[in-house]
Amino acid sequence: MLLAILLILPLVGAIAIIASPAKHAKWIALFISTGIFIYSLTLAMSFEHWTDGQFGLASEKPFQWFEQFGITLSVGVDSVSLLLVMLSTLLMPLCIWGSFSAITERVKEYYGWMLAIQAAMVGVFIARDLIFFYICFEFTLIPMYFLIAIWGGENRAKACIKFFLFTFTGSMIALAGLLYVAWQYSISSGDWSFDIAQLTTFASTELTASQQAWVLLALISGFAVKVPLFPVHTWLPLAHAEAPTAGSVLLASILLKLGTYGLYRFILPMVPEGLLYEVTLPLVGWTFIPLQLIAVLAIISIIYAALICWVQDDIKRLVAYSSVSHLGFCVLGLVALNPLGMQGSVLYMLNHGLSTGALFFLVGMIYERYHTRDMDKLSGLSKSMPVWAFFMVFFVLASVGLPGLNGFIGEFLCLIGTFVATADNTANPGILGPWYAAFAAVGMILTAMYLLMMVGKVVFGALKEPTVSHDSHHKPLPKDLSIREICVLAPIAVLCLYIGLQPKPLTDAIQAPVDEILAQYPPIVNRYHASQSRPDDFVLIQQSTEPGGAN
Amino acid sequence: MMLLNQIMPMILAQAEHAQHVNVARLNDQFSWASMILWLPALSTLLCGLCAALKIKNKLPAWITVASLGTSFVLTLLLYINYSGPTIVHIFDWLNLGWTSNSQSVNFIANFSLYVDSLTLLWMLFVTGLGTLIALYASEYMESDVGKGYTRFFAGVSIFLFAMTALVMGDNLVMLYLGWEGVGFASYWLIGYYYTRPSAVAAAKKAFIVNRIGDLGLALGIYLIWHNFGTVEYSVLFEILNGDGYSQQAGGWSIHAIPYLLMLGAFGKSAQIPLFVWLPDAMEGPTPVSALIHAATMVTAGVYLLARMYPVMLLDQYALPIVAWVGGLTALLAATIAMAQHDIKRIFAYSTISQLGYMFLGLGVLTSFGAAYHVFTHAFFKAVLFLTAGAVMHGFAGQLDLRKISGLRNMPGWRIVSYTMLIACFCLAGFPGTSGFFSKDAILAQAFVTPGYGFRILGWIAIITAGLTAYYTFRVWFRICAGPVQFEMGDEHHGDDHHGNQPHAPRFAINFVLIVITIGAVLAAVPFFMANTTEGAHGGWVAEMIYDSSAIHGLPHQAAGAETQHATLLGMDPHTAMYFVSGGIGIFGILIALYLHLINRKAADSLKNALLGNSLTRWLPTAMENKWYVDEIYHAIIRAPLWIIGHALNLFDLWFVDRGIVDGIARIPKLLGKVFQPLQNGILQSYGVSMAGGAGLIAVLVIVMPDLMQWLGNLLGGGG
Repeated sequence: MLLAILLILPLVGAIAIIASPAKHAKWIALFISTGIFIYSLTLAMSFEHWTDGQFGLASEKPFQWFEQFGITLSVGVDSVSLLLVMLSTLLMPLCIWGSFSAITERVKEYYGWMLAIQAAMVGVFIARDLIFFYICFEFTLIPMYFLIAIWGGENRAKACIKFFLFTFTGSMIALAGLLYVAWQYSISSGDWSFDIAQLTTFASTELTASQQAWVLLALISGFAVKVPLFPVHTWLPLAHAEAPTAGSVLLASILLKLGTYGLYRFILPMVPEGLLYEVTLPLVGWTFIPLQLIAVLAIISIIYAALICWVQDDIKRLVAYSSVSHLGFCVLGLVALNPLGMQGSVLYMLNHGLSTGALFFLVGMIYERYHTRDMDKLSGLSKSMPVWAFFMVFFVLASVGLPGLNGFIGEFLCLIGTFVATADNTANPGILGPWYAAFAAVGMILTAMYLLMMVGKVVFGALKEPTVSHDSHHKPLPKDLSIREICVLAPIAVLCLYIGLQPKPLTDAIQAPVDEILAQYPPIVNRYHASQSRPDDFVLIQQSTEPGGAN
Repeated sequence: MMLLNQIMPMILAQAEHAQHVNVARLNDQFSWASMILWLPALSTLLCGLCAALKIKNKLPAWITVASLGTSFVLTLLLYINYSGPTIVHIFDWLNLGWTSNSQSVNFIANFSLYVDSLTLLWMLFVTGLGTLIALYASEYMESDVGKGYTRFFAGVSIFLFAMTALVMGDNLVMLYLGWEGVGFASYWLIGYYYTRPSAVAAAKKAFIVNRIGDLGLALGIYLIWHNFGTVEYSVLFEILNGDGYSQQAGGWSIHAIPYLLMLGAFGKSAQIPLFVWLPDAMEGPTPVSALIHAATMVTAGVYLLARMYPVMLLDQYALPIVAWVGGLTALLAATIAMAQHDIKRIFAYSTISQLGYMFLGLGVLTSFGAAYHVFTHAFFKAVLFLTAGAVMHGFAGQLDLRKISGLRNMPGWRIVSYTMLIACFCLAGFPGTSGFFSKDAILAQAFVTPGYGFRILGWIAIITAGLTAYYTFRVWFRICAGPVQFEMGDEHHGDDHHGNQPHAPRFAINFVLIVITIGAVLAAVPFFMANTTEGAHGGWVAEMIYDSSAIHGLPHQAAGAETQHATLLGMDPHTAMYFVSGGIGIFGILIALYLHLINRKAADSLKNALLGNSLTRWLPTAMENKWYVDEIYHAIIRAPLWIIGHALNLFDLWFVDRGIVDGIARIPKLLGKVFQPLQNGILQSYGVSMAGGAGLIAVLVIVMPDLMQWLGNLLGGGG
């Protein structure tokens, strides 16, 4: 029940907003969302399973929804879920507060939808029942659809339809995969259940490798669209470019994480055999294993999107494509199959949520002032907006992965995890390795290139501001950031610095759940390597002590 | 293979020495040493506070000078109390441990300090020069008080923080933190005059080129962890020293490590092929050029390789390659420096050239020579930049050596002129100066160490020494000697009351110049100081190396293993080198004296003669245009990437999105169009379609088993 309050409160708030006058809407929304954040903080402080990887705060007797199918509304969080819940409850009040000046029309609906999406996002992370999870997962689409469709930019109609259909199609396929697992479970045990833990254990142990491979195909179709991975990423730049600022922030910070969270929560624990199942493509006869394919797609995403970023003129599209590039690292870390990569990946989810969210805020603040996102029309803004410039440079550095700030921790761990994911790594064998890491690491250089290009154009250089005609119903904003805007950015900046210097509490919290997921992998990966003719050029030095080796 | 046989006994002999290295131990006694790291960070925060409070006086400068000065004093205290390698733990940073497959694994990279003599050697000049140059900048930057003043000093403070982390960190990840941190500080300060497009471009270039090197360093760190299971120096050195690692052992994953670290070092220390950012970095304020781009940050690459010397020995070709890259960079940069007119750029290329010497030293197995040259170079190059800065400050940004003359005879410029002269003597390697001894240690070793054409490298380095003497004194004779003439630059300070008259430097600048010049002169003394440590020749600096991982490169240490000592001109190379390099240095100075003081017209006519001859025309042109390296990089890297970027952008928009995605989305609509004619209300056609549908179902039922089997085969056959 403790967790369910997180779900109910925003819905109550949404109703309250609709019932009260428009001028109070934003204050109610801010009040409710701040309250939810504080409540989630108290939950986090009383949470007992920070380091043991267990699920806590679970409902004792979950509400039976469809008893004959075993569908319940059970909730519960482990440390990873709770961290993601915290991320969404933290960002929501900031998003609402950040929208105060931008949203002047249909405010009641706007804040209502904002709270509705919060309920859905939290629901995804706390659900312990598959159907409940899926409903929340899909329900995030509806508020976002309206946020884009009503308060979006010029191309909003096209953007929201593409966003909706694209992700909806993907998740339908994922649902098919999940239902298949449940169906198989009902066949084998004679009883229906949609409990995620039960189905996960069942799928990973009882399903054959080829069944798992099919389930994997279904799940990855859904989650890859959400992440998004190349080549199913094209809804993202469009949706981001057209969404209102807060919508972009939520999209980048939380909704994209649903994809990686899906990988983390469902694909990795459920279908270990499927990930390492050798697939031969008909007709062409190419042989590969899905894990490698996912890693290659992640690397393509990193480099491809980074190069596209570099030639953008629209600053918001640039930040949007940068998400595609960044989340490539995140996916890569997950499929490294070792705690370094996976910890890095979970940290990456949090860090990307903070720093890219902040970048969208910053872009939005510019758009509100100048009504343009064209980098050729803006230049040298550090002259007119020094505070904004400071935050811009700060979050760009966090995003570039400057050590000492948060981005570095995740990126470094993801890359080293990928690097050491070889057969020689006896504790955590993997199937990626140095070449994967080396290619992905080129992304480090490209990230610096495009983000510094943006900073060089917009923040530095000779001052160039477009002239803006103020419309009557917008209260003119101050030239530099207002106190409200600083208060939106400052908590994120503090967190970025804190995580950069003190990641230990987080890594300690993430360790146990990650270890649990990975526990089943070493034998499977070893079996895979045994079946391959192993390349022997990557040999540990300790092993080659035969005479003649050392002179 | 001959060479291989020659060099192997030497390196193996060195590996034996490694066992004498003291193993570091955890020490709570020195926990105050962490303040050396935190004081600059505190200073950054306070400068930030000054910016927030819009303070419009010199307070940020005094905060910075005070905290850096305290940092220096603490370093000095640490040096006095030093008694062997020590680890000071500050807090846990990246500290992961887990058990998997019944093995316990950990990845530990804490915020900890590793204090050994190499650390102290570096920290002494980093904090010392940092303090002095911050003091210099308090006057130099005064026209920006209330504008960029706090931003500047925040940058300097954060640089010192990062540099301290780089040098004092006890593991490679913390070194990486400092490594990227100094890169950022450099970016921040090069782009200080952010309204100038050239400064913004230079800052960006510096960061990105450095990132290429950083990529190498990062991959090197991953490989080290992969092979040795640790990134902490103390553990790593214990493994390397204890197990008798030899160069032939191990697969490519071991042998790749030195090359990757090398790439990092070449990026940070501006060596071929990654040197292109340093000349452009001169867009930054001059104190920054002196501190970051001459004395301290650019020597980080030398520090990395000296610190990782045991790792560099893991591949037998690694150090020879370092030597060749260093030697060739020294020559290339010196030739460019000869043909430039901007004195800051001349000094920038000179820095690249001198860094080349340091890498040459590392490569020919004298980490002592390299470290000593870092130490002396830090002082005299700082003086050169600071005097150039004083000129720039006083002459409204004028840096063209053709437009200022006779500085020493102008009122108030005497200190600048003569400190510059002394520094020039050091750089030129004039006998008796500090630069003379440190350079000779490297040059002589090139003739001592047998190896891959090291003698050729030695001669290249000697020629470069002559070129160095020439271009150094070209600057001094042009600017400081000769008839008094000047032309003001075009940068006027906002509060400039002097109009078109130069204004001479005042107390802070002169004081700092004198102090650092004294340091540059005295830097010769350590070479002669007695050792207390057995087996270390080369005085105090050698002693500072003795306790550290760079011990392998001490002078004469390997000589014990040699059967015949190499000779140069029939003498011991160390003795011979005093005459050879001293002689060529003086020769270079004399040529400069003739061409740029006695008969300045001769220099022009010489150049015109070269340009007039179609056979030699390319030489001065290529030198003046920096051998077109920037243009080549643009053509082979940046331009193709730019084209690929645009191509991918269009591909993404038109093919992936409009083509495939929208295409698939159109399929239902198309299907609808296909079947639409069927619903035409004519009974017969409904009948036909019903029959057709039944037929289709029948076919499907027949085909279905095959279809299912095909689908099963798709994934390799069911199981």
